[in-house]
Amino acid sequence: MTAKRLRIAAVIAISLIFILAWMFPILWSFLNSLKTDKDVLAYPPKVLFTPTLEAYRDVLFGSASILPNLVSSFIISIGTTVITMLLAVPAAYALARLRFPGKRFAGFYVLATQMLPPVGIIIPYFLVLRGIGWIDTYQGIILIYLSFSLPFAIWLLVSYFEDIPFEMEEAAYLDGASRLRTLWRIIIPQVRGGISVTVVFVFLNAWNEFLFAVVLSGNTVRPVTVAMYNFISVEQTLWTKLAAVSVLAMLPVILLGIFAQKHIVKGLTVGAVKGGGRR
Amino acid sequence: MSTGSGTSMDAPAFISSMDAGRVLARRERRFASALLAPAFAALLATTTFPLLYLIWTSTFRIDLAMPFTNGFIGIDNYRDLLADSRFWSSLSVSMIYTISTVVLQVAIGLGLALFVMGMKKGQGLFRLIAILPVVLSPAVVGMVWRTFMLQPEFGIVDFLSINAGLGSQNWLGDPTLAMISVIVIHTWQWTPFAFMVLLASLAALPDDIYEAARIDRASAWQRFRRITLPLLRPAIVMVVIMRTMVALTAFAAIFTVTGGGPGTATEILNLYAYRKSFTELSIGYGSALAVALLVVTIIISAALFAVRRAK
Repeated sequence: MTAKRLRIAAVIAISLIFILAWMFPILWSFLNSLKTDKDVLAYPPKVLFTPTLEAYRDVLFGSASILPNLVSSFIISIGTTVITMLLAVPAAYALARLRFPGKRFAGFYVLATQMLPPVGIIIPYFLVLRGIGWIDTYQGIILIYLSFSLPFAIWLLVSYFEDIPFEMEEAAYLDGASRLRTLWRIIIPQVRGGISVTVVFVFLNAWNEFLFAVVLSGNTVRPVTVAMYNFISVEQTLWTKLAAVSVLAMLPVILLGIFAQKHIVKGLTVGAVKGGGRR
Repeated sequence: MSTGSGTSMDAPAFISSMDAGRVLARRERRFASALLAPAFAALLATTTFPLLYLIWTSTFRIDLAMPFTNGFIGIDNYRDLLADSRFWSSLSVSMIYTISTVVLQVAIGLGLALFVMGMKKGQGLFRLIAILPVVLSPAVVGMVWRTFMLQPEFGIVDFLSINAGLGSQNWLGDPTLAMISVIVIHTWQWTPFAFMVLLASLAALPDDIYEAARIDRASAWQRFRRITLPLLRPAIVMVVIMRTMVALTAFAAIFTVTGGGPGTATEILNLYAYRKSFTELSIGYGSALAVALLVVTIIISAALFAVRRAK
């Protein structure tokens, strides 16, 4: 009996260590964001304190507000998602359901584009966008975000399109419906779930992107992942404000992640099953 | 001939002759091209075109700080690269970073997946918590670790170190500790990914094989070594491939923590290409470094895919 109890205790201890290790940095940022400037610097670190929303008030409505950066992040992420979906849904349908010469090559091409390191895309694009004055613009950032969101979305959607039975379309064709009408009326509603999962992941990846954003952003367009830097400098780090900004940057993706919990593994491994994959 | 093999067989009235079949096939082709064209135009513009342009710029001297020196120099950038000790150092940092993070992720992820698989309660909690790190931006993760975890005399890791009698350490200022730190941060964020994928594959394994093994009195280790591991092999290889590609092109998780420093201690090849291009504004040479990274990526993934195909 004691041996069994000892085993249960060990299992609980190991579980706690891992769960704590994964939650801690997030939880600690959250706690620090609720502290005063004095509490945050206390030694030993304070776990119990009187919480305050002062840091949030400062970073949202103070003089160095990051509200415009949050808005930037949302515009970039939503813009990327909308354009990606408009392009990816038809392409994924064609790759999953239609017959045409070069289909295998087309599918391989979509995967192969993911091999290109992002730094190899941003160097030439920096020169191009600088040439046409698109640095520090939404269209510049959204355009280049398509380089990673589009192959991802196409492959994720293909897997959902492949799951619907052929009979549905055939019945529609026999009724004399046009292809476009069938796609819109019969097929799309069938993959509504897959489309919403794809939307979640495309948004999430766009929100989290950093390399392209750090090169292409400026005073007009600066997403929150880049703007965080303003709170840290050699002379002084604004601890509570940095914590508050971190929490604000983490919140949307954590909510989306929990919302899409059941699909996370599929979303993370898409494409790999067929042969490629990254990120 | 047309939509699917089913159509022509199930609906002979619909496709009454070969001609009709051919017309339908042509229509299907046209419809497919119309659906694919916009997405492929965008992919060509955002991936293939930059690749070609990158190779082109890598044959130029493009120095934004000294534009008067710009010009075509052929393969000189690549010749310089082979003689550049910082290139070789960044390549070896890349290898250390990639191999150690991938090995740690797979080892810890697999161990934990096996551990959680044996739990009667609490699996759901693990699955939920595991999502948190992987959905976060590596830039935010890096920033949080750099400050609230690793800042000397402030971060929790330093607090624990002091209390463990190891004293306060300059976690990101010492070359060795900085390398260990960025490896730990990457491992922290992405082990849950390996864990979730391997747990899902474990859960999908058939139970009856284990029953047979148990009847044969195979020990737990034998069951793992002879049954679980071979069955999990495809999933493990897939995780290794995916995580290797990501580690090779990791950027935010190092850039926000150490910026590649101290000196070049944590500067992986990817980061070197960035710094050369956008900090030192030497875009031609930076392009050559990016091409070198692409070549390294292709070689490594070809090797990994060969492992994947091998039985």
